[in-house]
Amino acid sequence: MRYEFLKQCRRRRFYGALVIVLLATVLSVALCEGWDLLERVGIPEWLLREKGAELFALWVSSMSAMALLAAVFFSGDALASEFEQGTGYLLFPNPVSRSTLVLGKYLACFLATVLVVGSGFLLSALATFAFYGRVPVGMAGSFGVTLAIAVFMNGLAFAFSSTLKGSMGATLATLLTYMVLFSTVSTALSYAGHEPWFMPDRATDAMASTYGISLEEAFGGMMGGGQGMERMVRASEDPVVAFLLLTGYGLALLGFSVWRFGRREMA
Amino acid sequence: MDPIVTQGLTKRYGKFLALDSLSLRVRRNESVALLGPNGAGKTTALKLLCGLLRPSAGRAWLLGFDVVEERERAVAGAGVMVETPEFYPFLTPEETLRYLGRLRGMDGGELEERMDEVLELVGLGEWRRTRVGSFSRGMKQRLALAQALLHDPPVLLLDEPSSGLDPRGTLEFREILRRVGRRKTILLASHLLGEVSHLCRRAAVLSRGRLVAFQPLSLLRKKYGSLERAYLRLTGGES
Repeated sequence: MRYEFLKQCRRRRFYGALVIVLLATVLSVALCEGWDLLERVGIPEWLLREKGAELFALWVSSMSAMALLAAVFFSGDALASEFEQGTGYLLFPNPVSRSTLVLGKYLACFLATVLVVGSGFLLSALATFAFYGRVPVGMAGSFGVTLAIAVFMNGLAFAFSSTLKGSMGATLATLLTYMVLFSTVSTALSYAGHEPWFMPDRATDAMASTYGISLEEAFGGMMGGGQGMERMVRASEDPVVAFLLLTGYGLALLGFSVWRFGRREMA
Repeated sequence: MDPIVTQGLTKRYGKFLALDSLSLRVRRNESVALLGPNGAGKTTALKLLCGLLRPSAGRAWLLGFDVVEERERAVAGAGVMVETPEFYPFLTPEETLRYLGRLRGMDGGELEERMDEVLELVGLGEWRRTRVGSFSRGMKQRLALAQALLHDPPVLLLDEPSSGLDPRGTLEFREILRRVGRRKTILLASHLLGEVSHLCRRAAVLSRGRLVAFQPLSLLRKKYGSLERAYLRLTGGES
């Protein structure tokens, strides 16, 4: 795992993701404190007085959550590139099982993701402490759910990377599945009257519900209409259920990757 | 049991028969050449032996271990160099060898010592801390040989080891292999008949996936006049 992690840390995409998440966090802090963004978007004053630190932390740390997409770029080529680039000729004829190789690579990608997302959360926590004198407990819970999302996202990317021939295909397939397929299915289920609590995209909403804020109260005013927005503000997924669900899905996908990768030949 | 044994080893890709029932035995400390034109099945045979491919039929053993049933134990005693070697561009030769050495159960002083030895042996001593991404094909070839020799394996499986090297590099490689080959069992796939003559005593000639001769080079020379003629006749290039 050590050398896989070293490989991840030496790639431009790692530093790119790190810089983007830190810049986005700094920008969101500047918007909140310098431009009074939270007041301007119509959050009720009484809620800002009572839960100012929570709302600030929720807003600022949500920038770090976007960096979860970096996981796709770390993991998308982790397995496929061994076949595509030909490095498998070097790696596979060693006395180590394929499953050990997959697990080592997975842990390295997970760690790289956590490092990027964790840096954003740390900066958000420091900013929250600097402006409000405390760090909301809900932030730890939100970070916990974020870790579960990282388990899931890396698992999904590994599943495609172990199956598809090219790294680019695996990365795109992961992004499309997460951003288009899941949300389409979730929306369709919602319209059909079935609560899609088990869908991964829905479970990721639990990142916000750990702060103990009613999103409907906080953001309801700014959302106006539209089914999607309405659904979003109503979302208050149980963080524990979401954590277990995402971790479970992630580990199942990792299991599939181990099985699939073990059967691929280096032709 | 001989260090390298194949019995009816067969590989099919759909309807294409890449290797057809290959049976051969390579004795301890013997160097055997796998000869044949492109597509004859040489690389497929090596890939099957080191577990990169699964056989469609037949079996193979390295140092007495079945390459399918006991893959990890079988490849533990083999140094492998297959196809044009590619490396992780973000790692240096030192880091690459440390990584592979650890995968092979090496550690600490033993690994560092062997790493120094093999890097000097292949002439990459001064490039040890340069990232592989900037290496030429010849330098990668040198690093590929270094990693194959790293754990001092009793068996070497080499596929066109000197391809991509300049004439000096080719001669250096030949000399290295001749020196280390005295106490190793080598199966060498090559197009270079000069290299084969220099390093091997016996040759297994493959044509269209089938073993058409497995004889000492001296016998092939005697029977056909020269090794080149033997190669052409056996692989269907000269009537």
